Amino acid sequence: MAYSDKVIDHYNNPRNVGQLDKSSTEVGTGLVGAPECGDVMRLQIRVNPETQVIEEAKFKTFGCGSAIASSSLATEWIKGRSVDDALAIKNTDIVKELSLPPVKIHCSVLAEDAIRAAIGDWKKKNGVAETADAAAVAH
Amino acid sequence: MLKVLDSAVPVACWSCSVAHNDSTLFCPHCSKIQPPPGGDYFSVFGLEPRLNLDLAELEHEFHRLSRKVHPDRFARAGDNERQWSLADTALLNDAYRTLKDPLHRTEYLLKLRGAEIGEEHSGKDRKDPSRVPADLLEEVFELNMQLEEMRMARKLGETDPDIQSSLEQAKRKFDILLEEVDQDLRKQWQAWDAGDAAARAKVEKTMVSLLDRRRYLSNLVRDVNEVLGA
Repeated sequence: MAYSDKVIDHYNNPRNVGQLDKSSTEVGTGLVGAPECGDVMRLQIRVNPETQVIEEAKFKTFGCGSAIASSSLATEWIKGRSVDDALAIKNTDIVKELSLPPVKIHCSVLAEDAIRAAIGDWKKKNGVAETADAAAVAH
Repeated sequence: MLKVLDSAVPVACWSCSVAHNDSTLFCPHCSKIQPPPGGDYFSVFGLEPRLNLDLAELEHEFHRLSRKVHPDRFARAGDNERQWSLADTALLNDAYRTLKDPLHRTEYLLKLRGAEIGEEHSGKDRKDPSRVPADLLEEVFELNMQLEEMRMARKLGETDPDIQSSLEQAKRKFDILLEEVDQDLRKQWQAWDAGDAAARAKVEKTMVSLLDRRRYLSNLVRDVNEVLGA
């Protein structure tokens, strides 16, 4: 299977790899995994408490090229968005942007789950009422 | 394609018309070869689905049936019988390959029972997205981080004996964790084979999560071996 140019680009030059202070109240952490392939993905956001805008996003993914590209793209997209806007990102948007083949769609699902889990964690920390959807993911 | 269990329905033999169970390769009445049966892999060998198998007996039965359906024996038979011998042989090979391997056998049985395993069930279609327990994810992530650190350190300072020994330590740790999962799985086999419907349903859930854990661990073992072998 051939990776698209965009996947290869994100794989070779992943954006926003790293870590944020997990204990900070401004930081939300999402750790998700896909048992089918053994991938694990951690995505973190730092949210401005005044504006609720995601000012920083970091990820660390252990997995295939598509999983790394999906999470790299996800951090690029959520940076500068408000929390609510970030929740609007769908895995299908990632599939389209990266031209992921059907067998790699679960990588994009993982990235969407990670965004939701990170935002859910941040909401929980800050006492923001969760939407039912985000609560389900953050369990 | 997977068939549901208990799909063995009576069919009429194409040759003698006597009804027989659809899981058999040969008509019990006239001994003629039959089209590929519709049952599951276990029934091909005349077995009920179970997880503890006598592998010697399975192999023996595989060889016996393979000889019986071998295409050479049907070289001069009619078109249908020739094709069936090929199809039956292929089925027999698939069934044997799946059942003789403990993990493949377990996954196969769980799939027969409706468990969602494998990449085709990943992502949105999964009924239970939070199947991976949070503490396992933390552990796996942490182990991956450690392994990556060692890998980086090794890249920089090739001959550091500390890195070598911590890699070997990590490998031992993963091997032990993997062995624990396998032991647990074997315990679940016993429970499944001996259990009633309610007990089986419970055991199946446990096995699905053990297999998930196993996939994470075997990835780690693969990665650490890669680093050590490099």
